[in-house]
Amino acid sequence: MASFHGNKINPSRFGIGQVKFFVFLIPLGIVMILPIVFMFSQALKPLDELFLFPPTFLVRQPTIENLVSLLSLKDMSVIPVTKYLFNSVVVSVSVVALALLTSAMTGYALSKKKFKLRKTLFEINTIALMFVPAAVTIPRYLIVEKLGLINTYWGHVLPLLALPVGVFLVKQFVDQIPNELIEAAAIDGARDTAVFLRIVMPLIKPAMATVAILAFQTVWNNAETSSLYMSKETLKTFAFYMTTLSTTIGNNVAGQGVAAAAALVMFVPNLIIFIFMQSKVMDTMAHSGLK
Amino acid sequence: MKLKLNKPRREALIGYLLVLPWIVGFLLFMAYPLYFSLFMSFHKVAITPYGIDTTFRGWDNYKDAFLTDPDFIQKLLLFVKSTVVMIPIVIVFSLFVALLINQPIRGRQFFRAIFFLPVVITSGEVVQELFAQGAATIPLMDQSGVIAYLENNLSATWSAPLIDVINRFILILWYSGVQILIFLAALQKVNTQVYEAAAIDGASPWVIFWKITLPEVKPFILVNLIYTTVDLFTNTFSDVIKLIQDNMFQVGTGFGYSSALAWIFFAVILLVLLLAVWLFRNREKTAYAGSGR
Repeated sequence: MASFHGNKINPSRFGIGQVKFFVFLIPLGIVMILPIVFMFSQALKPLDELFLFPPTFLVRQPTIENLVSLLSLKDMSVIPVTKYLFNSVVVSVSVVALALLTSAMTGYALSKKKFKLRKTLFEINTIALMFVPAAVTIPRYLIVEKLGLINTYWGHVLPLLALPVGVFLVKQFVDQIPNELIEAAAIDGARDTAVFLRIVMPLIKPAMATVAILAFQTVWNNAETSSLYMSKETLKTFAFYMTTLSTTIGNNVAGQGVAAAAALVMFVPNLIIFIFMQSKVMDTMAHSGLK
Repeated sequence: MKLKLNKPRREALIGYLLVLPWIVGFLLFMAYPLYFSLFMSFHKVAITPYGIDTTFRGWDNYKDAFLTDPDFIQKLLLFVKSTVVMIPIVIVFSLFVALLINQPIRGRQFFRAIFFLPVVITSGEVVQELFAQGAATIPLMDQSGVIAYLENNLSATWSAPLIDVINRFILILWYSGVQILIFLAALQKVNTQVYEAAAIDGASPWVIFWKITLPEVKPFILVNLIYTTVDLFTNTFSDVIKLIQDNMFQVGTGFGYSSALAWIFFAVILLVLLLAVWLFRNREKTAYAGSGR
């Protein structure tokens, strides 16, 4: 207890001793934010600025023209943009939820349960991390087809659930939970589900939040399942819609602005999820019983 | 479930039950596809309206990759070289940043968020879009004339690698998000009382870092080593992966050949990773040998 009452985690005052840290942190931090500033500024640039040479980093005369023309594009296709968005939301939410659950269960079992195959399974998982996903496109298609997942939401969800990074990260975090803690809970009469939900889950929250962010990235930006497994236009996702935008209109001069706006629209949900999840990552780490 | 099982067996059963969904998913979407791509790598694959046509080619796909392909080996070597250089830089950098943002400074939460931010940039379409628009280089560097200054005042042998590092610096920063987070979690695990005790005993921050902090975060260095290697090798702008994808839809080469390329690439990644882990373990042993472990 003393450890987190005794030292204040976030000092409220600025002291001279902190200067040496800021000397490094501020310039590095600016570099980190640049790409995001660039994205916003690019989307807000009017056409003549987009083709300026030498290109400017920041927008000079911001305009929402690009965004407006992006939204008015919906008249071109029969299906409203909202349908794509709806699909994306449904698919993303299910993938994130299911990926979290399977990663947590697998990571916990591989770390704390003793059974013959657990080392082998984890090694296989780590090796699976290394394979180029593009190389398994055809076989995956065959599987999806055989399972009858073509033109169903499951076709979006199931192939993305295999998230080796998730299992990898969760397992590493569960490893850090002392066995004594789990044994003590078991002695106190906690069942496996209770141990898992009440002890393990709260302690691996940083890992879970990270996995959630990574899973969301993968699914939200994924246009592949739509183009490969879905032939019905009404089942395709927003990411797919965006790629068709940039290929159909991105090639001509006027399309550049719309493409930049589309990139921004694609990116904003990532940012929102990130801001929402990262506070969980950071908050829980300081107070987790991992000490 | 009130089965009469002895404890180890019950535990094993629960273990398998928990892993089961993962195993099923893995078999369907990883293991079988991997097997199939290995199979294809020994065949010439043609996609016809009636299905997939395969003719056996033996090791020819692999031979072609090494002997006749003008690009593959050259690109592979170049990519491996540059990536292997980046790995230690990413690790050291992310440890450095993690140490900084673990300090009691104002706005700590804010800085943490910023340094973790690249995680949302480096995946998927976004980073490609950024790359296409040229945001991955530091335009300020160009505009402020730093690069021109280096070019004018240093000989090409010196300026080229320097510029290369500057240009890639942003990439290094962007690929450190998860690593920083992992290190940060490790650092927060260290009991602050240990630091206080060491400080009272008169240890300098430098000594504290080497004697207390580093041993504590050591297991996580290995985790990060694996993560970084994999992350850098399989990211979307690897030239090699682009080459593999290009070959997929070429009539002359097709899926069989690109599968062979993918497997060669996979073998190389595995080799680099094993080497890195082996080096790390070896160093660890020699480091501990002195302290009698």
